[in-house]
Amino acid sequence: MTSLTTGLKGRSELGVALLLGAAGVVVFLDANGLVTPYSKSDPVGPKTVPFIVAGMLVVCAVLLAINVLRGGKGEAEGGEDVDLTHPADWKTVLPLAGAFVLNILLVDWAGWVISGTVLFWGSVLALGSRHFVRDGLISVALSLLTFYGFYLGLGIALPAGLLEGIL
Amino acid sequence: MDVWSSLMDGFATALTPMNFLYAVIGVILGTAVGVLPGLGPAMTVALLLPVTYALEPTSAFIMFAGIYYGGMYGGSTTSILLNTPGESSSVVTAIEGNKMAKAGRAAQALATAAIGSFVAGTIGTALLAVCAPIVVKFAVSLGAPSYFAIMVLALLAVTAVLGSSRLRGFASLGLGLAIGLVGMDSVTGQRRLTFGQPLLADGLDIVVVAVAIFAVGEALWVAAHLRRTPLHAIPVGQPWMGKSDWKRSWKPWLRGTAFGFPFGALPAGGAEIPTFLSYVTEKRLSKHPEEFGKGAIEGVAGPEAANNAAAAGTLTPMLALGLPTNATAAVMLAAFTSYGIQPGPQLFSSQGPLVWALIASLFIGNFLLLIINLPLAPLWAKLLQLPRPYLYAGILFFATLGAYSVNLQAFDLVLLLVLGALGFMMRRFGLPVLPLVLGVILGPRIEGQLRKTLQLSAGDPAGLLGEPIAVGVYVIIALILAWPFAYKLFRRNRPATAPAGGAAGLATDTDDTVHSNHHAVYSDHKEQP
Amino acid sequence: MTVVVGYVPTPEGEAALTQAITEARKNNTTLVLINSSKGEATVDNRFAQEGDIHDIEQRLASQGIQYLVKRPVRGHDAAAEVLDAAEEHHADLIVIGLRRRTPVGKLIMGSTSQRILLEADCPVLAVKAG
Repeated sequence: MTSLTTGLKGRSELGVALLLGAAGVVVFLDANGLVTPYSKSDPVGPKTVPFIVAGMLVVCAVLLAINVLRGGKGEAEGGEDVDLTHPADWKTVLPLAGAFVLNILLVDWAGWVISGTVLFWGSVLALGSRHFVRDGLISVALSLLTFYGFYLGLGIALPAGLLEGIL
Repeated sequence: MDVWSSLMDGFATALTPMNFLYAVIGVILGTAVGVLPGLGPAMTVALLLPVTYALEPTSAFIMFAGIYYGGMYGGSTTSILLNTPGESSSVVTAIEGNKMAKAGRAAQALATAAIGSFVAGTIGTALLAVCAPIVVKFAVSLGAPSYFAIMVLALLAVTAVLGSSRLRGFASLGLGLAIGLVGMDSVTGQRRLTFGQPLLADGLDIVVVAVAIFAVGEALWVAAHLRRTPLHAIPVGQPWMGKSDWKRSWKPWLRGTAFGFPFGALPAGGAEIPTFLSYVTEKRLSKHPEEFGKGAIEGVAGPEAANNAAAAGTLTPMLALGLPTNATAAVMLAAFTSYGIQPGPQLFSSQGPLVWALIASLFIGNFLLLIINLPLAPLWAKLLQLPRPYLYAGILFFATLGAYSVNLQAFDLVLLLVLGALGFMMRRFGLPVLPLVLGVILGPRIEGQLRKTLQLSAGDPAGLLGEPIAVGVYVIIALILAWPFAYKLFRRNRPATAPAGGAAGLATDTDDTVHSNHHAVYSDHKEQP
Repeated sequence: MTVVVGYVPTPEGEAALTQAITEARKNNTTLVLINSSKGEATVDNRFAQEGDIHDIEQRLASQGIQYLVKRPVRGHDAAAEVLDAAEEHHADLIVIGLRRRTPVGKLIMGSTSQRILLEADCPVLAVKAG
């Protein structure tokens, strides 16, 4: 690995420190904006804990940044199905996230059966399955099954959307 | 009512056909997810949280308990047959278990794991039934200052003791506490961190947070690093043990149980430390020390028992104090909240029948696991041939379904994706997820106790020290926080010893040889084709 | 000029390999061994272990056969991998092992051997175990 890429890798964890710091600042500003008349029954008030949390986040951010700059590194999580020897496979993750976003956009308008089918089908394809027809059928079946299962079993009416009246 | 009659009532409730059915579903589902890669009991219970809308609380918890215990069984199966410990608690089982399997003794390894789990689970549950009411009796006398201190202890202990980097643990805890702040302040009605978004006023639903962190984050993370080269499962028939195996197993089972339960019951004990301790002990006491490292049955029996006893131990603070100390207990606590049941010492009096039915179902679940798993082990191994695109697409599908069904709002799915991305990032950069989830769950309760305490003392911070228990707990907290610095000083004065590696928490109190073994397990399966 | 053999670590696969070795020696040609996995499942017991492959390589080398071992894991099924290799290496013979399958199993899973038999451009030698 070249020194440039290791440098970049080190820098990417600084992003975590940045995120922590930003979260700390947001929590602080939000709490600071609260108007609290002093009350005897609530001497702590709604601000104290957010201030503590904000402080903790900022301290962690600073310490983490120092740790990373000194060469500290978070240990990526392993697992039964995880192979950390190859870099993150964005060609899988991004289409997966895409299927997820599509589901969010579709669910209220087109209904769960359609959006759920899109989600499952899209995810399976993103993960590398190539049985287009079989996967499609499974997706439709799964969406229909959960739609009716939730309606009849749990009493939750998922949106029917475009298929209103048919289902 | 005494323990015995309460427990008998619990059995009466748990053995009704409906509840028994849920126990069976729970243990089967639990074993399946324990075997399946990528899925664990915490994620499964999180994905099943929507059933709390339709199911009786008793049935739901009986099922969750089955999943919890079943997950432990399933985890040991993959450790032994594949050498891929899914959870840190089964790392030690894999050391000797996989060696045994490779030497053609898979059936005995699985048998001693299953029977040992049964023995430890049963003793552990009995201890839970005896200890929890005692803890409750002690806990109801405590006031807000002590509660505040104990909850802070639980949070800090989990954060500081588990995981490889304390700093990253605290970062995760901070994020969790911040997420827990979102929504209307319960005392003043002020909106915090809602950014003018009315949908955030009620706070982030714990179902959404748990599902996002455990399921979506995990699925995305695995998708990014999917192992392409397939593994080999060691073929196995029906698990069984010979006479000499029994002779060599029963003492490790009991000793493992003795290690596991107390550690599980401690706020930050978890299952890792007792499994390592059990392994080291068995290695020292064994009449066949030369077999260790080549597949010694004691090295499977002891840690597996410790693992399951710890699982039972974990339920003690969860039921008696409302303090979850591992991921599954945390999600089960979230389920209590979604039923509107207040966890804490009052749980035994307000929800007595539920709690005792839950404890009774643990005995039943343990027994079911034994009779289901001994004959079915070969079948469970077949589950590993499930194509993974379906597995991970299924996790995303049910995660979405679960989060959406809470409020039927697409907005929750946006949160799910954002928090899922956070979970992904945390796994990438080694931030443990448990402190975050505990922060979200315990944060608001800690704040409540803090405000109650200072309300009682009229704003005087000395009120925090108003009870002797509270003072004692703060001393323990100080010790936990000061420990690494003291340890460093100690090491500096004795520079000859080996440097503490990444997992400082474990390296400090376990044998170095075990520790290197632990790494060997991982490097082992990385090198596999 | 090559012999392509589809290998799986089962009795049928061993039979196919033994036959392929005989053919390769007879015609003094290169033997191309294909052992593939779709890589979809965590566990694929039809994907040989490193140790087994090593043993096979030694066996081939000791018999003085020119060989090539290919172990593709890229989401394609076994039939496609064998056919691909046959085309790429201009095979004049494909050797495969046959296993007994119930009609229902064949209906659901399809048959790797059937596809190879139907789609191959060269002669296919199918052997049974034992």
